[in-house]
Amino acid sequence: MESREHLWAEAMRAERGGDSAAYAWLLKEIADLLRRLIRYRVVQLGLNAHETEDVVQEVLIGLHTKRHTWDGDRPFLPWLHAIVRYKIADVVRQHRREARHRIHLTLDELAELVEAPAENLDRLLLDVDRHLSDLPQGQQTVVRALAVEGASVRSMAEKLQTSEGAVRVTFHRALQQLMAKAEPARTKTAKGKF
Amino acid sequence: MSSSETDSLIQTLADQAGAGRDRTPFAFDRIFPIAAALSLTVSVAIVLVLVGLRPHLLAVEQRTPFAFKIASTLSLACGAFFLTRRAVRPGSADLSLLALLPGVLLLVFRAATDQSGLPVMGHSDVAAAVCVGRILMVSLPSLWLMLCVLRTGAAIRPGIAGALAGLLSGALGATAHSLGCVNDGGLFVAIWYSAAMLIMTGLGAAVGRRVLAW
Repeated sequence: MESREHLWAEAMRAERGGDSAAYAWLLKEIADLLRRLIRYRVVQLGLNAHETEDVVQEVLIGLHTKRHTWDGDRPFLPWLHAIVRYKIADVVRQHRREARHRIHLTLDELAELVEAPAENLDRLLLDVDRHLSDLPQGQQTVVRALAVEGASVRSMAEKLQTSEGAVRVTFHRALQQLMAKAEPARTKTAKGKF
Repeated sequence: MSSSETDSLIQTLADQAGAGRDRTPFAFDRIFPIAAALSLTVSVAIVLVLVGLRPHLLAVEQRTPFAFKIASTLSLACGAFFLTRRAVRPGSADLSLLALLPGVLLLVFRAATDQSGLPVMGHSDVAAAVCVGRILMVSLPSLWLMLCVLRTGAAIRPGIAGALAGLLSGALGATAHSLGCVNDGGLFVAIWYSAAMLIMTGLGAAVGRRVLAW
């Protein structure tokens, strides 16, 4: 049986003589080889399985346009190897560039996302908890009862044996302190993102 | 895309069989030396027209420095020539920087053994800048020509192929420039000629990356 090197080199020489059938046979052989090669390494190359055929076609076109650079007196397979390696790397690079383009996010879009309220509910709740524990004991009790547990002002006043007005004042002061604590943190994170 | 599309692509390509007959590598092997010779001729012509031959070119005390300049730059050009030819022929042996060694050694040897005590910065304050500028000027047309010719090959690493083409045109330009250059100090040549050739190498790499990709 004749070696692949010999058969393929013969087909390349036949192409130079204008033999379409031999050239088509060679390209099919190479396409099969490429499919096996690319499928085997598709993950490594960072491509989707359905992009295999794209790569095969790109390599075939590259080989076709540069086929005159093969010296008929030299072995064919090293030439093919160099061409295939270059072209696959080229296609993978292009795909990566396109992928980057697809997930390209403008600054305006990012700003909108940052401005959007409650972008991360868990995080906010954690923050509230942390800031609450910084408040004086009295204020903490009031805010936890009214804002977090949803108790009414009257039931709070009865529980703490004080007037409804006093509860309201305490709640108001606590909220102001919480706002003051939360505000600089908010502006800081916003600045940090740009 | 499906493999049936690939099959029809293969048929389209196969129908063009024989169409590239006149572009075999033999054609490239013929054109490339001609392009190199043409580059040198154009560079020399530019030097002769714009700068002129240096006076007393063949006076005894000027023969050694002149010979070293021509020998080192031409050696670099030869090395770059062979490497460039390899760089656009897929499947040829790996590039070896050893090809550039003779030229580099000549430059270093001359710089190390030069006893003339000629200034590193040349005969005037602007000599170095003028020298580098002139080498770049006479090398640029060659670089353009080289890149045009190399596009008919297949550069597997376009940046490196471009860099080598830049070095080749820079070395040819430096050879031509030495016909008119009156600065003979060994260090002057080693530093400023090399600087100009390195700039051409970098330029070739930057341009080659784009125009030699396929």
